[in-house]
Amino acid sequence: MRLETRKLLDRSFTASGVLAIVLMTAALVILLAPMFARGLGAIYFTGTVEHRRLMMEKFERGSRPEVEAEIAAARAAREPVYQMVTEFEKQVEALPAAERRKLKPQFKEMKKALQALLGPAPGSPRPMLMRDQYGQTRWDRAQIKLQRVLFREEWDYSRPGQGGVKVMKPRSEDFAGTALAPLFPYLSANLDKMLLPSTTVYWQFLTDESFDSHFFGGIWPELLGTFYLTIGAMLFAIPMGLIAAIYLTEYAPENAFVSFLRTCISTLSGVPSIVFGLFGLAFFINTLGVSHSKSALVGSMTLALMILPTVIRASEEAILSVPRTYKEAALSLGAGRWHTVMTIILPAALPGILTGIVISMGRAAGETAPIIFTAAVSVGKPLALWQVFSHPTPALSWNIYNLATEHEAMDEIRHVQYGLVLVLVSLVLLLNLAAILMRARVAKKLRG
Amino acid sequence: MSHRARRRQRVAGLLGSGFLLGVTSLSMFAVLFIFFFIARDALPFFQLQGFKQFFTSTHWYPSAAVPEFGVVAIFAGSGLVTLGAVLVAVPLGITAAVCLSDVLPFSVRQVVKPVIELLAAIPSVAYGFFALVVFAPLLQERGGHILQVASWVIGAPLAALAVIVASDLLSDRIPAAYRSRIRWALMALLGMVAFWGLWRLGVSLGGVTVSSGTNALNVSIILGIMALPTVVSVAEDALQATGRELREGSYALGATRSETILRTILPAASSGIMAAVILGVMRAVGETMVVWMASGNAAQIPQPWYNVLQPVRTLTATIAGDMGEADQATGSARFHVLFAMALCLLVFSFACNLASEWGVRRTRRKVGR
Repeated sequence: MRLETRKLLDRSFTASGVLAIVLMTAALVILLAPMFARGLGAIYFTGTVEHRRLMMEKFERGSRPEVEAEIAAARAAREPVYQMVTEFEKQVEALPAAERRKLKPQFKEMKKALQALLGPAPGSPRPMLMRDQYGQTRWDRAQIKLQRVLFREEWDYSRPGQGGVKVMKPRSEDFAGTALAPLFPYLSANLDKMLLPSTTVYWQFLTDESFDSHFFGGIWPELLGTFYLTIGAMLFAIPMGLIAAIYLTEYAPENAFVSFLRTCISTLSGVPSIVFGLFGLAFFINTLGVSHSKSALVGSMTLALMILPTVIRASEEAILSVPRTYKEAALSLGAGRWHTVMTIILPAALPGILTGIVISMGRAAGETAPIIFTAAVSVGKPLALWQVFSHPTPALSWNIYNLATEHEAMDEIRHVQYGLVLVLVSLVLLLNLAAILMRARVAKKLRG
Repeated sequence: MSHRARRRQRVAGLLGSGFLLGVTSLSMFAVLFIFFFIARDALPFFQLQGFKQFFTSTHWYPSAAVPEFGVVAIFAGSGLVTLGAVLVAVPLGITAAVCLSDVLPFSVRQVVKPVIELLAAIPSVAYGFFALVVFAPLLQERGGHILQVASWVIGAPLAALAVIVASDLLSDRIPAAYRSRIRWALMALLGMVAFWGLWRLGVSLGGVTVSSGTNALNVSIILGIMALPTVVSVAEDALQATGRELREGSYALGATRSETILRTILPAASSGIMAAVILGVMRAVGETMVVWMASGNAAQIPQPWYNVLQPVRTLTATIAGDMGEADQATGSARFHVLFAMALCLLVFSFACNLASEWGVRRTRRKVGR
């Protein structure tokens, strides 16, 4: 081969390496960008008067006179809409039967869409579900709901071999010539006056309970549940992991049993997370009966088992990286082995151990599979501290899954899902960034 | 120190290290208990239904009047998804590992390492959410275009390199007088062929319609990204473990960097790299949330088997998804079949773990450390 070609190959080899790393970074950015961009939308968004009404009625937030004035203004702007509706209701009764039969179901559909947009009509009975008691609280959702009022979905099967094609039919055509005809241009022109959108910072998203299965409110029970599970897991895993690491580095003789122990620990780190969940169910709940059914305690014990190998390994590495001279100096001064470990080695290894602990904390906070059968529940009140021993808890990770796949109206609460993802991801990333920074400082110190 | 005091101290020391050993053995008991309890709940299934159906049938109808528990299609789903993840993670991961250990300067490495760690830190449910809510609709609407562009972006540089190298090798034996001209001609000819091939490939991929965004391809790509950090860090450790001497020897013989790495370092580190691949496979096989959310959960073998655009179902997703329905009837085959699957997963990951440990140890021994 020519030298030029060899050089070219060498360069393209380098380029492919750099490309792989660029791709990896790009993957990280592409993953995180929508989570952050849309996740912030759960907290910072254009809220409507309905949002402020909800806040007022549920939490007494905002100044009452101001909100009431806004509600009155919005109601005044909505007045013509409801007038048109009542007028149409009268008009439709006078129509010939055939036309009436055609218009009535469409009118019913339109009224339902209108109620989803603006909330129940004044004077109508209070609906049972909270999601029906309020109009759209978010301006972006209101835009979508407005389209539902203005257009009717229809499936066109006329083209053969293509299946159904969705066609949007304007409702104004259906109701042309009736009293409802001016409603549609009025709605699209005056929606802002009816809903009064304004920029809202809803930071209480983090500390509010959710209402009506996450249609409204925040994610406090989930946040608290993740907090309990993580802290609980750390309470079990840190002592066990630390002691195991001390034993393996300072006390363990080199024999077959200890090497079997090490194999067990590495096996434990390779067990799939869902298997931990099954084990937690079969052992902690069905055999030991730690709690009658799922509980936060069992969840944390299962998570603790899962992160135990990580904690052991990180602590072992941190202890091994303490210079031998420290230990030798302490022993030569007459300190016992235990004394040396407690006063010399552990303090010196502490930053490294902390790094490992913080990383495994992030892992425990984000893991879902082990808590599915042991701790997680979809909807729940925030737990009081004594309830963790017997009650299941919602958790960020589980509720992301649950709301994104099993919720009855998952498209309507995308912002809540993104909000949950944002909170979980930033929690985990902050823990990891802390660990990275901590390690960089340690490395600097060791280099001198 | 009196005799008695010394004895007391010795006893205390023994007790202390005994306590430490006891706590350390807890992780051993954990592993043994996991095996025991999963197996204990898996056995009733085999007693009830026998082995034959489980391992040979593709019919997975656990809730039918006469339930059928054929897990072959689910094994196939796990296998297909894992294969896809490996195809994404291994080339990328090993290239990145080589780049990190041999190419990039120290300062850049310090920036890249955290990127890998953050990729590893993102919770699996967040990956799953991305796969389901962002990636799946994208794939469903523009799947053909995405495949087309991807094939060109990946194929074009590879094809260009192959053309140059091939024309170089082919023109080697030609007398020096014409060599250069012939090489250019060959390059133009092969280049045109390659371009035509790529073009046709892209066009045919562009015509593909993706009927559902939640399919094996989606999951494979996401799982590949999730397995990347494991592959990169283990492979990089293996490459670092080979040491300076091998590299310096190779450079001294006049090899370029790529030749050094491809012909000397990678073979020396091969068992460590195998370990990296195995650990990546384990990560992909054991992952639950992504496959549960975005694989489509259809217990079927795709037709043909490599058709990644069809939905599949994996072991982990089946365990996670079916437990809710099986829970009420503890003691039924439907409950215990999930433990039987978990046992398969457990045995597989145990075997993989042993293999990867052996690989890491072998690399160390080979390079004499």
